[in-house]
Amino acid sequence: MLGSLYSFAQASSGDSVFTSIGIDWKILIFQGVAFLVLVFVIAKWVMPPLVKAVDDRQKKIEEATEAATQAEKNAKKAEESTQSKLDEARQQAADIVATAKQEANAQLEASEQRAEQKAEAIVTNAREQIEKDVIAAKKALHNETIELVALATEKVVGKTVDKSLDNKTISEALKEVR
Amino acid sequence: MFNSFASMSDIHVSVSAQTVFEIAGFPVTNALITGALGVAVLFAIFGYVIYKVKRGKYNRFVGLVQWCFEGMFGQVMDVIPDKKIARQVAPFALSIFFVMLASYWMSILPGLDSIKYNDVSILRSMAADLNFPIVVSIIVFVMVQILAIRTLGPIGNLKRYLKNPLKDPIGAFEGLLEIVGEVSRYSALAVRMFGNCFAGEILLLLIAILTSYVSVLVLPLFLLFELFIGFVQSYVFFVLTIIFTSLAIETHGHPKPDHSSADIKNLAQQE
Repeated sequence: MLGSLYSFAQASSGDSVFTSIGIDWKILIFQGVAFLVLVFVIAKWVMPPLVKAVDDRQKKIEEATEAATQAEKNAKKAEESTQSKLDEARQQAADIVATAKQEANAQLEASEQRAEQKAEAIVTNAREQIEKDVIAAKKALHNETIELVALATEKVVGKTVDKSLDNKTISEALKEVR
Repeated sequence: MFNSFASMSDIHVSVSAQTVFEIAGFPVTNALITGALGVAVLFAIFGYVIYKVKRGKYNRFVGLVQWCFEGMFGQVMDVIPDKKIARQVAPFALSIFFVMLASYWMSILPGLDSIKYNDVSILRSMAADLNFPIVVSIIVFVMVQILAIRTLGPIGNLKRYLKNPLKDPIGAFEGLLEIVGEVSRYSALAVRMFGNCFAGEILLLLIAILTSYVSVLVLPLFLLFELFIGFVQSYVFFVLTIIFTSLAIETHGHPKPDHSSADIKNLAQQE
């Protein structure tokens, strides 16, 4: 320690203050040049790839953010479209059910009507048949009665009565009766 | 009691870096040797990292260096508003930070003051040689002046220091203070670095000798402390470089000496 102080004092009494604190112009300039070379090397070879990496990462982050926003937007859109499609489908289903119901009702009504018509037709037919039968029966009865009356009259009046005259008289008589 | 260990009379503390040998009259000092070693380590690290980055391969070490680089680069971009100038200053500022850090951290290598050649200890952190901080600080000064002239013009730059005392007496006085400020700023920049690093080395030596064999337990704490101080000092040098640049550029039109001195005071307090 004392030795160093001694050398310090010795140096300061010598050349100059600069030398005493260790400044040597040769070394100063050498170190300055060396430092500038270092700066050059760093600016030329070290900075560009590292700065590029920084920039790339920044860009990637921005892109990722952009993509995330886009994806979110897309998801929202997809959800909306799904919702609207679902609504549409529901609406369509409701429509289909409604029309089906209407059609079924209409068909039911139509078949009911047809059945009624058929039933009516059957009834009318039956009535007509009955009337015809009745008329036929009446006719048959009428004819039988005429014959019967003719026979009876023959028996009563005698055999001389002409058949055609008979018929005429009997019919007139029957009309009166009726 | 400690006779077997290095004793007080053995330490040799020299303010200046000592010449180990001479090549054609050029003194090769121990600080130069250690500095070259530090720069070699720095180049090895950067070479490795760039090799990996260019191939897109990542590991933790590459990530660490990149993270450090990104943080520093981002800081340059933040402090200097003009992005073009920031990109120009960045290599200087980053070189300063990394080379100061590398040379400062060399002082914690084992063998400080014990590995000797020609009776001179070979290891001496380059930042503990006043030549280096001074020349870097001169380079920063020249760089700042060039950038200021480019942005403000030669006359604009001169107007920062010289004003007509008849028209603007307060401004002229401020300009005078600015000149004094420039001298003190840059000399303080250099001497702060030198003082910290030199004191750190002496501290390590003294602790090693005072605690003798216990230094095995005590010294690691101080080595950690030295690592921390080394980082802080390199960072301060780096930050002051970019702050001086941004100050020189933004004082255009309406100089604010209060603002600048406040900034420097804040930084000085943080140290």
